[in-house]
Amino acid sequence: MTTSPPRARPALAHSALARSARRTVLPLTAVLLLIGAVAGCGGRPTTHHKPGTSHEEAEGPVGELLDTRDESGHRYRQVPRKGAPEVKLTARPDSHDGWNLQLSVRNFRFTPDSVGGGALHGTGHAHLYVDGRKTARLYARWHHLPSRLVAKGTREVTVRLYADDHTPWAVKGKPIESTAKLTENAASQDTGPADQTVKIALADGKVSPAPGRVDVKKGQRVRLKVTSDRDDTLHVHGYDRQAPLRAGETTTLTFTADRTGLFEVETHDAKLVLTQLAVR
Amino acid sequence: MTASTPAGLAHGVGSQHDLPISPFYAYAGAFTALFVSFLALGLLWSTSRFHGDRTGLPLPAPLQRLADARATRTALRGLGLAAALFVALHLLFGPDDPDRNPAPGAVYVLFWVGLVPASLLLGPVWRLLNPLRAAYALACRAVRRDPAAAYRPLPARLGLWPAALGLFFFTWLELAAPEPASTTTLLTFLAVYAVLQLAAAARHGDQWFARGDAFEAYSTLLARLSPLGRRGDGRLVLRNPLHGLDATEPAPGLVATVCVMLGSTAYDGFSDSPSWITTLQTSTLGRTPTATLGLLGAVALVAALYCLCAGAARAISGQLPHPLTSFAHSLVPIALGYLVAHYFTLFVTEGPRTVIVASGTDNAVPPEPPLGPGGLATLQVVAIVTGHILGVIAAHDRSVRLFPPARAVAGQLPLLALMIMYTLGGLGLLLA
Repeated sequence: MTTSPPRARPALAHSALARSARRTVLPLTAVLLLIGAVAGCGGRPTTHHKPGTSHEEAEGPVGELLDTRDESGHRYRQVPRKGAPEVKLTARPDSHDGWNLQLSVRNFRFTPDSVGGGALHGTGHAHLYVDGRKTARLYARWHHLPSRLVAKGTREVTVRLYADDHTPWAVKGKPIESTAKLTENAASQDTGPADQTVKIALADGKVSPAPGRVDVKKGQRVRLKVTSDRDDTLHVHGYDRQAPLRAGETTTLTFTADRTGLFEVETHDAKLVLTQLAVR
Repeated sequence: MTASTPAGLAHGVGSQHDLPISPFYAYAGAFTALFVSFLALGLLWSTSRFHGDRTGLPLPAPLQRLADARATRTALRGLGLAAALFVALHLLFGPDDPDRNPAPGAVYVLFWVGLVPASLLLGPVWRLLNPLRAAYALACRAVRRDPAAAYRPLPARLGLWPAALGLFFFTWLELAAPEPASTTTLLTFLAVYAVLQLAAAARHGDQWFARGDAFEAYSTLLARLSPLGRRGDGRLVLRNPLHGLDATEPAPGLVATVCVMLGSTAYDGFSDSPSWITTLQTSTLGRTPTATLGLLGAVALVAALYCLCAGAARAISGQLPHPLTSFAHSLVPIALGYLVAHYFTLFVTEGPRTVIVASGTDNAVPPEPPLGPGGLATLQVVAIVTGHILGVIAAHDRSVRLFPPARAVAGQLPLLALMIMYTLGGLGLLLA
């Protein structure tokens, strides 16, 4: 599996050949090679002209079209298990927002520049489903899923491999897909339990309740719910957690207090201390 | 300062404060302090035992030669100058963000806090490293002038007053200025400070630095408690720190210097308390003026208590020519106890982080504090109580020397009361 752009390879091959030709200083050989290369690559250009694929494959039918259809009406394209594309999805919470999705694929290459063309074995793209709802088309092995695309209470995401002609690849009547659970992170604040919830309101530069201390046991989950009358940024010192505050809205920030000490919760612009976390 | 890196209200740098200690530690500390104080009254010697700079075990001659060698001195000067250049260049061209610029950490942690352990272990190190001395010497060489030459002799009554003032402004910068860690603030302070110091040195000669440079005076004062010292005859010696402390020069302004040390550290501890934070944030005066008043108040309170007790000691003993400066040295260990208790964590977490940032890593995470809450509380209480005990012993020795034997015990009672107040206050701040 390679991620290099499909056009890069012949160019590399040509330059490598040119170099070796120069080294051997045999112009005749070079000419012969060149003729060979032109002959190999010549003919009618097609959309599916990919390095490593032959024209026979591109024009012949790939796999077997089943009667089963996906949610948008495309028939499954079944291929033998042996040599079939495979995918495995992992979702990791991002430190700032949402999740980072990684697609580990085998026998499969992303071909964004030929999407819409005919199905070629081992190529295509992937669809991303968040709790069964199609959210995005993926053309690469890494994808960032922002939390705004994820409804509250979402538990899982799925990726399914598709051919260029938008038929889902399938093995034994089942689409080739992988599902990952979304673990709790900063982006899905309001889900999951918290050991301590601190509610703070900010109005006219005044903090209510007045800054105090919250006693937290090391390892507990702390949830801050801050309502501000102006835009600002919420910042938890020591843990370096931040969240934007929007005027009139409540911002929730949840994190695990895994460091002992006395830490200040502050706003950036107004530089107001909201409370202190005493983590023991 | 950029929006992404607010500095705490209390510290120029550092994102973590020490947890309040549990009352058990505070009570244990308070009890020990009281117990030792009264035990000292009854049991300690009745004739003075400390000999100032007349005692000490001389170090081997090769070591002394190495320490006094011209090459060593020049190398240290160069080191100080290089470090100052490093900081100045980072302040001038580095990002205005203490998470990515090592300069604020280098000034507030490595230099200011680091000066305490360095002076305590090695003696008055800043005198050897002071880049202002190096700059002054270079300037003098350039204009072919004797560095020691003075247009005006240094007035003796000035004493340590310039140092006390300098220390106050530096602690104000750290604890009360609006943006203590911003490069603009630091550059302005350092530039103004350097210009004033160099101008004073040009007027009074290079002997100005020993008393007029706040950081040299600070380092020298702390070095009184170093086991490594210099005897009156110039020999490098290992000595009982209490002898070194006894040799503290009773200069004018000594009380003020010690009171700034104690008061600013106390204010730093106090400024973490939620009630003071609320006061700052709701004060109609504005935050910086309120913080300035708070810092001034803390220093004034420490000084007022001292003057009151020194006055009482004079009244009881009947004869004491310089009641204020006679006992000021005994406050140095107490101030040191405060410093250790308040800045240990900052030094061991932000110090390494600053070094990591200086070596080119952005957004370095400070290391986990080496001590858990219990260990840290023990260290803090032990530091404050040890400072108290050393202070009591130093004051006791001084009173039996100065007071007539019949009044020696009674005469030191006011000072004992003062130290107990300072110590209980220091322990109380750890609870806050």
